[in-house]
Amino acid sequence: MVRWQRGLWLFFLPSFGLLALVLLWPLSYAVYLSFFDYYLGSGERTFIGLGNYVDLLTEARLWNSMRTTIIIAFGSVAVEFLVGFALALALYRLHGSAKVFSVLLFLPHIVTPVVAALFLKWMLASNWGFVDATLLTFNIEPPDWLGDPVWAKVSVILADAWVFTPLVMMVLYAALQGLDTSLLEAAQIDGASSWNTLRHVIVPALIPAIIFVISIRLMDVFRFFDLIYVLTGGGPGTATETITIYTYQLGFRMLEVGKASALGVITLIVVAMLLLTINRGLNKAYRGGDR
Amino acid sequence: MTNRLSVTRKVKGATAALLLSSIASSAVAQDAIRVISHRQPALEYYTQQMIDALPEGRVSVELMPIDKQLELASITMSAESDAIDVLYLNDSSFRRFASNGWLEPIDDLWEKYQDEYDLDDFPQSVIDAVSFDGKIYAMPILTNTELFFYRKDLLEDAGVAPPQTMEEYMALAAQLDSARMAGTIMSLKPVDAALNEAHWYINAIGDGWFDANWKPIFNNAAGVEAITKLKEMSEYAPRGFTAHANDESTINLQQGLAAMGLQWFTRAAAMDNPEQSRVVGQIDWVAPPGGGARVANDGFAISAFSSADREEMFKMMAEAASKESMQEGAKYAMPPRLSVLENADLAQQYRWYPAARAALESGKAFPAMPDFNDVGEIVTRHILRAVTGEAEVQEALDQAAAETEELLASRGYYN
Repeated sequence: MVRWQRGLWLFFLPSFGLLALVLLWPLSYAVYLSFFDYYLGSGERTFIGLGNYVDLLTEARLWNSMRTTIIIAFGSVAVEFLVGFALALALYRLHGSAKVFSVLLFLPHIVTPVVAALFLKWMLASNWGFVDATLLTFNIEPPDWLGDPVWAKVSVILADAWVFTPLVMMVLYAALQGLDTSLLEAAQIDGASSWNTLRHVIVPALIPAIIFVISIRLMDVFRFFDLIYVLTGGGPGTATETITIYTYQLGFRMLEVGKASALGVITLIVVAMLLLTINRGLNKAYRGGDR
Repeated sequence: MTNRLSVTRKVKGATAALLLSSIASSAVAQDAIRVISHRQPALEYYTQQMIDALPEGRVSVELMPIDKQLELASITMSAESDAIDVLYLNDSSFRRFASNGWLEPIDDLWEKYQDEYDLDDFPQSVIDAVSFDGKIYAMPILTNTELFFYRKDLLEDAGVAPPQTMEEYMALAAQLDSARMAGTIMSLKPVDAALNEAHWYINAIGDGWFDANWKPIFNNAAGVEAITKLKEMSEYAPRGFTAHANDESTINLQQGLAAMGLQWFTRAAAMDNPEQSRVVGQIDWVAPPGGGARVANDGFAISAFSSADREEMFKMMAEAASKESMQEGAKYAMPPRLSVLENADLAQQYRWYPAARAALESGKAFPAMPDFNDVGEIVTRHILRAVTGEAEVQEALDQAAAETEELLASRGYYN
């Protein structure tokens, strides 16, 4: 390092300071609170060490909410990826009208998730909701979209997919724009079928974008709150209670701040581990397939 | 340490203030008295009375569903923020807030203005309901009870009388249930609505919630039978009943989409409102079959952290709870003032009053514990698991009882 470069770390300080203020301080405070039995109603804090963690990890509710989170997260991301990728490919094939279609398809993502959830809630409302009313007009008995445990999960997955598929589509569509067309032409000359072109040319070329978009979406879906809160509130029963909804119930309804903080820390660790695993898996699969 | 706590408090206070301001629908003057309340017809009326009691712009009111209101109030109060001055509380939430030290005692003002506002007109039972540890904390605003709403035209056509027992209710619901009309409304949205519905079954069929030592008994054989009946009854409820609260159930009755069911007194007038209802004059009321439905005394309380003038706030609440105001408000809710209740014209003017008086006698309040709302959060979650088939009734109630006992132990109930 040359002499003039030694002072460059000073430029790092403002952004680090800001990061520490808005990210590290609340995180450290949450970790600190997680070691206390702290009910906001009494205002008293008692140090209990890892008591909250032990309580949480030994109760069925946490594992149930974890299972629900995984079902909803992977379900949503799978639908978003498949539909988003299909739409991106369709847009890639279009020429003149691609811009118009991409703007139209992107509209659901522009709406604030809470507003989108409210909109969907009224669409799915039993009897007088748009979906039910339409189906009933044709004498089709609709399912209980938000009241049946299985349909509630499906509704939540579809709601998330409705809002976020456009994002996946746009990222993949942007990646497709950078695709080397000579590879596609070469595949065509070699007589490769559409499926083989997709499998051996397009997908490998898009792997970095696919890893990016799946990671981002999984990270998001594991923190999934607003849509579920508005649509089902975690119900019926515990059918759509994800980890974040459970954390919210503990912190803001029961006012058990210590336990809620511990659950926040557990969520952070689980999401970080999961993402690392998925990233490694996808990278490995890509490199293995490329060899 | 004190310094650090003070910083923490300020940060929490700022967070609560930010939350409150984010939901405010209009700009609020800095010195306005901020009132938050549950949204229902009676409270819309009484909060308007508060606005009218003081000069224009002095009072700002925010109305929202009860779960959201209690959540917002809990966050604000636990942060010791003065973002809320006056808040609506029902009997169960009132005890929790008072025991947490979040409410301002008003005994001195009650005594001072006793004659001016004729506060002796409130019966002792009502004053007891808004008192905690011997201190008065809230201005009683309404006595509420759940009634059994039913379509008298349908019952007449079927040649049956309104049900008096749970068995008769179930049989009638099965008889009236059809593809286009649910046999009964059912409000099982957690927490408040589901807790009210379960409270009725647990009292009418079961043995109640707790024994004398606050040990749960809702999972005994009678309790299991009660929730099993509730689950069976859900066969005749409208689709989406697990997400239905009072608003949705009221609409179902008003639109002729359900034949009968349990709903609050405060929703009775809406049945005869021609702008909202398709069944004007066709709904009648009786006391809920089997008894044990919820009775509540609700009121408005002053936050212990409010920086507004408490005397001015008290007078504002007292004006809203005045005899004249309650005469008019009797349309929306049962007034707790004796002089208004004894008015013989009420029963003639409002058809649902005779049923309400009977319901008051057979009804039951929530258990008198500050933590019943938290218990409700646990119990309703498990009852819904049972109703939707996620778990067996016995298993769900046993799990609820175990979690309840753990919660109450941590709050010092068994020391």
